[in-house]
Amino acid sequence: MKVWAVSLCAPALALAIGPALSAPRAASPLVRYRDLKLPPVYENFDQGWQDRAALEFEIVNRADLASLRAGLRDGNPFVRAMAARALGFRADRASADVLAELAGKDPEYHVRIRAVEALGFLKMKPEVVALAKRDPDPGVQWTARTIEGLFVSDIDHAGQARAAYAQGIRREEMGSARVGGKAPDFTARLVTGEPFRLRDVVGSKPLAIYFAAFDG
Amino acid sequence: MHQQAQLRLKRDELDKLGAAAYVVVSMDVHRTRVFKEENLLLSRGPGPFAKEKSLVFATALSDPAGRAAALYGASRKCLRWGSWVENRPTWFVIDRKGIITYCAQPTFATPTSYVADVDLVLEALGRAARTATP
Repeated sequence: MKVWAVSLCAPALALAIGPALSAPRAASPLVRYRDLKLPPVYENFDQGWQDRAALEFEIVNRADLASLRAGLRDGNPFVRAMAARALGFRADRASADVLAELAGKDPEYHVRIRAVEALGFLKMKPEVVALAKRDPDPGVQWTARTIEGLFVSDIDHAGQARAAYAQGIRREEMGSARVGGKAPDFTARLVTGEPFRLRDVVGSKPLAIYFAAFDG
Repeated sequence: MHQQAQLRLKRDELDKLGAAAYVVVSMDVHRTRVFKEENLLLSRGPGPFAKEKSLVFATALSDPAGRAAALYGASRKCLRWGSWVENRPTWFVIDRKGIITYCAQPTFATPTSYVADVDLVLEALGRAARTATP
């Protein structure tokens, strides 16, 4: 009888809470990356970077693996590239075959770069990375040449990257460095792997800090 | 890389100022080490730095998520210059009180503009060196 009563009441209950249940859910971060107003194309270099950076943190930190794996097959090359990047950092070994396919065959060089990079983080498919050193695009060649050392490294580079993303960043902090203002503190790693903190070196000497594009 | 190579040529001036230089690379530690210790880029051309093993005098810092770059407004995460570019190259000078006293974005306007860029950084370091220790 109790079961019957609950069954009878269920439609009414659903009607009562239906609007809340059917309210539009926030789109996944990968979908929002696809829908960026200012996607990462040449002419947007100096604009919209805050949205791109914020979403990248969200994707690496929180996007579910199923959507990331599906993202490798997305029609938008920027989504494929971002999915590959995140899956590399997330050490998703199940994506290795698709990443290898993208590394060798994706028509967009920046997707191939991300796929090669991800395979390095996964420490899988070294033969694909070796082949990428002969890719027609110099950026892919460069990535393959520089990433191959990860295959023989004992360091968990993907784990270090995840730890860096896990710090998160608030929108209001972005671009907060201003001439005349206090230098924002940050952490990083020396090439020896030791942690570095800016505030530990401020005070003893004047400092010059250069943010490199990719090659300096 | 030309900015770093030029700074390396001027390291004596940097030392005289008692200053320290850092270069932030928004990549993993391994590739930051390659950047610091191996001259992969300029060794491929005929330029003046082609024979050098390492061009980077500054202490290299790995910033794999680009968090530091985003704090400093250098993050871009965008296509540019025929490749994927994490950051707009940007110089900052910080005095002993921790105040940012100089900021500049290289324009790459001429093939040798990096010479003037680094001279301006050294001038800014000279001014910062004259500020009192907190």
